[in-house]
Amino acid sequence: MAPDQIVAWAGLVIGLAFGVCGQITGFCLKRGLAGWWVEGEGTKIRALGLALAVALVGAQALDAAGLVALRTSLYMQPEISVLTLAAGGVLFGYGMVMANGCGARALVLLGSGNLRSFVVLVCLGIAGAATLTGLVAPLRTAMQSVATLPAPVSPASLPAWLATAGLDGTVARWLVVALMSGGLMAFAFLHAPFRKDAKAMASGFIVGLLVVMGWYATGVLGADDFDPAALESLTFIAPVANTINFLMLATGFRLSFGVAVVIGVFLGALGSALVTRTGKLEGFTRPGSMLRYMGGGTLMGLGGAMALGCNIGQGLTGLSTLALGSFIASGGILLGAWFALRGPGRLPAPRP
Amino acid sequence: MTETNTNHTFNGISRRAFLAMTGGALALASFPALALSDAWRRVDEINAVVGDADPIAQGVNIELPLVTENGANVPLKVGIGRPMAEGEHVTAIHIYAPRNPFPEIATFRFVDGFDVPEIETRIRLNESQTVFVVAELNSGAVLMGERDVRVTVSGCLTQADTYAADSLFETRVRVAESVANGTPLEVLTLINHPQETGLREDAQGNPVPKRLIERLEARYNGEVAFVAEFNRSISSNPYLRFFITPEESGALDLVWTEDTGASAQFNADITVG
Repeated sequence: MAPDQIVAWAGLVIGLAFGVCGQITGFCLKRGLAGWWVEGEGTKIRALGLALAVALVGAQALDAAGLVALRTSLYMQPEISVLTLAAGGVLFGYGMVMANGCGARALVLLGSGNLRSFVVLVCLGIAGAATLTGLVAPLRTAMQSVATLPAPVSPASLPAWLATAGLDGTVARWLVVALMSGGLMAFAFLHAPFRKDAKAMASGFIVGLLVVMGWYATGVLGADDFDPAALESLTFIAPVANTINFLMLATGFRLSFGVAVVIGVFLGALGSALVTRTGKLEGFTRPGSMLRYMGGGTLMGLGGAMALGCNIGQGLTGLSTLALGSFIASGGILLGAWFALRGPGRLPAPRP
Repeated sequence: MTETNTNHTFNGISRRAFLAMTGGALALASFPALALSDAWRRVDEINAVVGDADPIAQGVNIELPLVTENGANVPLKVGIGRPMAEGEHVTAIHIYAPRNPFPEIATFRFVDGFDVPEIETRIRLNESQTVFVVAELNSGAVLMGERDVRVTVSGCLTQADTYAADSLFETRVRVAESVANGTPLEVLTLINHPQETGLREDAQGNPVPKRLIERLEARYNGEVAFVAEFNRSISSNPYLRFFITPEESGALDLVWTEDTGASAQFNADITVG
């Protein structure tokens, strides 16, 4: 099999695993944040923290072993577009609360029969494609050129930045990994309800591992002397847009890793819902909430494309590279979600 | 780009794979001839090659994506699949992108009549446009083909500003060690090189000086067997797949030449059985 086919198959397998895991455990940033900040339920957010800890250790270990070169990934641009990263993150975070879940969650819910998610995904995909290559793309590129800073260091990662302060590169890397992963692990496991919640613990561990497997699939399985695959892992904005493109133009497209993941997540969640008999067809009951979900999907597509990724793409995959830009984007996503959950732009709980 | 130091990887193509390839070429060749637009007449560089000949819109098979997000790296495959008269063969294939700052992309010269006139490479396209391919035959006839490509704004945002200078001129070649007599030998080549156009500015606004791999020459037992002439619109890390047809065992030498005169070499011994 050619490397590009292996990478596509690996993407499908990773997507299937994500879909099954998400369908059974309800892994979701929006629910985690809402639980943590509003409802006083703290296990879901800790599952996300555990996922980030696992992804971080795994990705950095792959990079240190020389198996993948994270500095060639999308997240470590030589120039950091502060404005689009931050503003895109905020728009995404706000849209995520509006649509009651991110793009990955919408794929899982669609597999369980939630047709509201279909509306969200179509809006997200079209808005994402419009921002990346379509009608809104000139605006995005203009915004990028307004506030772009050359990265303070190359590659643009946190350990490399610390290394400029005189720290040894390897020491800097593992110091950051130990502090971040250690902190996240402590945050997760010092919470008694989380330790008792096997589903939440499993979901965090599996999702983190899937991010690492994504790096391995594109970086190692996709390695080819003449046509190496682009180094990427789980992310859900451009791939959802590309999946819609792929449906329409498949004869002229090569099935990419991201599209295979998106198809896999949907099929995994669908299979899981059918086997466990938890699937249920659901739609909108009020046009007003349909408008809200459409707005949320559109904001996620727009913001995610500007910020180069969603809560998974930047928040897990991007942060696992320790890229400076990913910290900005992830901060933006949290800020946008806070704004919609607790801040001045607070939204009422969705009533479909 | 992964950091492999594999300068010499060998991998054969089976006879079946070759038959499948040529079968595919024949299937494409049986497509009816399409009328050419007259757009090529406005391109001086194409007129210079065509001269007084009346180009035939047949037999040039071009594989290019219809839509591409990354104009800096567009895969292109060209094959000539027209039934030839006795002794007639392709001597050169020229590729043009009229709306690039420099329309000439590359020229490939086939030295003897047994070579398979098929190449694969990656090119740069500045904007949406029609790519033209002109093939010269030794009979004086000229074949021409065209393909439209839409280039969108880059969605991947990758800026190729930095180039790892440490692996410059590192070459990778994949070619079978042995081949049956009369069977074309597939050669895959790649050289690490920024292929600087001289039209770009760095982050400080200073022009980046032009620096191009201009020529790849394949010699077999000391004789030139195939020549590729690259221009600015060949993507960085110039990649080329081509065929030669060795008639006896011997040494294959590949020589890449930069416009500064610097060069890189690759050698392999081929057994013809």
